[in-house]
Amino acid sequence: MRRIVALWLGGLLVVSGLGTIQSVVAQAPVTGGTLTFAAGADPDSLDPQNTQSNPGEQVNRMMYENLVRFNTKMQIEPALAESWTQSADGLLWTFKLRKGVRFHDGTPFDAQAVKYFVDRVLGDEKPFKASLYTPFLQGAQVVDDHTVRVTLKQPFAAFLFRLAHSAGGIVSPAAHQKWGKDLTLHPVGTGPFKFVEWVKSDRVVLERNDAYWGGRPLLDRVLVKTVREDSARVLMLEAGDADLILNIPPEDIPRLRKDPRFAIDSIPTARALYVVINVKKKPFDDVRVRQALNLAVNREAIVKSLFQGNAEAVPGIVAPLQNGFAKLPGYAFDPKKAKELLAQAGVPALKVKLWSPKGRYVKDFELAQAVQQDLAAVGVDAALTTMEWGAYLSATKTGAEQTDRELFLLGWSPSTGEAQWGIFPLLHSSQLAPKGDNRGFFASKALDDAIDKATAATSEQTRLGALREAQQIVIKDAPAIFLISPNMIVGATKKLHGVVNLPLELTYLTEKSWKEK
Amino acid sequence: MAGYVLRRILLLVPVLIGVSLVSFGLLQLVPGDPALILAGEEASEEVLIRIRQEYGLNRPLPVQFLSYLRHAVVGDLGISIQSRQPVATLLGQRFPFTLKLAFLAILVSATLGLVAGIVAATRRNSPLDIAALLGSLVGISLPIFWLGLLAILVFSVKLRWLPSGGAGTFAHLILPALVLGAASSAVIARTTRASMLEVLRQDYVRTARAKGVSDRLVVYRHALGNAMIPILTVFGLEFGYNLGGAVLTETVFSLPGVGRLIVEGIFARDYPVVQGALLIVATTFVLVNLLTDVAYAYFDPRIHYN
Repeated sequence: MRRIVALWLGGLLVVSGLGTIQSVVAQAPVTGGTLTFAAGADPDSLDPQNTQSNPGEQVNRMMYENLVRFNTKMQIEPALAESWTQSADGLLWTFKLRKGVRFHDGTPFDAQAVKYFVDRVLGDEKPFKASLYTPFLQGAQVVDDHTVRVTLKQPFAAFLFRLAHSAGGIVSPAAHQKWGKDLTLHPVGTGPFKFVEWVKSDRVVLERNDAYWGGRPLLDRVLVKTVREDSARVLMLEAGDADLILNIPPEDIPRLRKDPRFAIDSIPTARALYVVINVKKKPFDDVRVRQALNLAVNREAIVKSLFQGNAEAVPGIVAPLQNGFAKLPGYAFDPKKAKELLAQAGVPALKVKLWSPKGRYVKDFELAQAVQQDLAAVGVDAALTTMEWGAYLSATKTGAEQTDRELFLLGWSPSTGEAQWGIFPLLHSSQLAPKGDNRGFFASKALDDAIDKATAATSEQTRLGALREAQQIVIKDAPAIFLISPNMIVGATKKLHGVVNLPLELTYLTEKSWKEK
Repeated sequence: MAGYVLRRILLLVPVLIGVSLVSFGLLQLVPGDPALILAGEEASEEVLIRIRQEYGLNRPLPVQFLSYLRHAVVGDLGISIQSRQPVATLLGQRFPFTLKLAFLAILVSATLGLVAGIVAATRRNSPLDIAALLGSLVGISLPIFWLGLLAILVFSVKLRWLPSGGAGTFAHLILPALVLGAASSAVIARTTRASMLEVLRQDYVRTARAKGVSDRLVVYRHALGNAMIPILTVFGLEFGYNLGGAVLTETVFSLPGVGRLIVEGIFARDYPVVQGALLIVATTFVLVNLLTDVAYAYFDPRIHYN
């Protein structure tokens, strides 16, 4: 009997082994086909130096390439530059460029094109994203066809991260000379896919670039469709009209997960959501009040029940996936201590205004409601209001004298993927609203010093140390109620392979992406 | 007649100036800054100033309005702040599509609505009448986006007969036209029923019946012609709404129509796009109304325009 069982088991192993082999065979990449990708919004622009939204950036990532790029762990790897060196003072960077690369218009990619990019962001045109580079970039010189030297005004630790940002996409100089600002309607890069057409708020069509230096792309065409309605995107996937969809409503996730046709991925992002505190308003100028608000919120419960695990509690304003994040203890959920602190500050009962957008971030308004409930439990009565995003952006950016805003929910995903850009624009004293994005008017000499040190660091050790110090100060001074980092939910048919999901909330295809027949 | 039509078309000029003024004024009242939305949260003050300058948003409002009018008169509706595409091009892409959809939808609603309304009126209080009344009540009450999603679920996801959204082929238009048409057919059915009942009670109908005219002839020749005036009015209104206000249908089915262009333009504070699109919608509304008035005269020879 035992032998029979053993034989049977052995047979089972062989059969299952065969099964694996077969599935491996079936997994060999297939060439050809059109992929339909349903995104929630239209690109804002297809000119990388003028693009500021994710729907635009992810289309650009398929058409343009940067000197260096992020891998999915947010580390820097070579792209159009094969290697680079930095001078000891951190001011001189020499890049060796990849050879044999051509733009989609047939012109060669060379040192001149890199210099053209640097000149453009520093020049009079002032593209939207120039401010990512102007504070530290000095200029570029062509050494030879495939070597370019970039000089900085001051050491800048996050230089490579800035180059890897979507705004660092290298544009064909010939195309930019021809089209100027209308480059957005005639994009030309070096990437695996070429531009075909853009029908505003309907679709962008891309086709494979046969001359791509990384080999001929497997997919023939990529069709990026703008489908505003969340449920409509889900239905498109279910009907087989879309192969890949973004921003799946949380309530649809369990049903789609049960369907064997689809793969639903929950991917952590570099975005932090938090409630900004206007520190110029009483009693929020008292750090004890701000700390009490942080102690009152039950982040773990929010992650578990509201987000059903598709989020992570964040100790400070920097999300774990931002390069430079320091694992520090944040505020534990302690309503008792919160009440004590409020009593010490002389505000045992408090009426506050709480603002939140609705639909800008996943479950943003529900998150504000959860905060409202937690605050109520410690005697803070928050009146919650929402407004449309365009109005919200303006209302939260006025100067200290023109506003009576108190608590307001916002999110930040540093598009350069590193923590300096996760702290500096939001909390450095040089960035106060209305000029900058420090919308809660927090100012601290100690924090400024730590950020400045991180900004100008020439070694990785100094950079990480200074960022850690900055995050410590932020947590202690509590210029915001720190909340969570939400995951992005991407759905695709299981026939699709090689989709890139960058934690910067960018989903795109590469030359290696392919679709089963 | 020709003189009347010409006068009405000339009246478009003050209407369009009025529409421009109202849409311009309302957009200025909406809080929010186009430059801030366009350049995003990371943009520097310098960039915001540059955008405001480039699109003339920093000029005094009367100057902005007059400059808009001056360009609009010669057909230049400006360029989109968001995408830099000329507004005229955007409308050129969208408007034919919206026209097609509106036309198909009114075809659906006219057929459904007229048939249901006539049947209900001629067989008053019969089960058919009650069914038609109930059906139109449901049709009026159902939110159109819900009906749209349900239609996608049944015909695209389950049965796989029709595409779930987007534009391209005629098949893409069937579901949206049915959904949009179903909603307005309910209104048309109710109007038709009421109007027919009114007419069927008239003396001349009784006379015709007494003369021995066949039932069919009485209903379709004698009664329907006279009942047409209020029905035409509803036709005109529904067609007009479909041209400018089919936003929900366009959103659910991801259709590149004028309604969505306007709504997305409002969210982005893309002033030139919203103003240009409203001009087109207002123009067509006026023309559809004119067409309705001309049709009155056709159905009722007693109506003269002179």
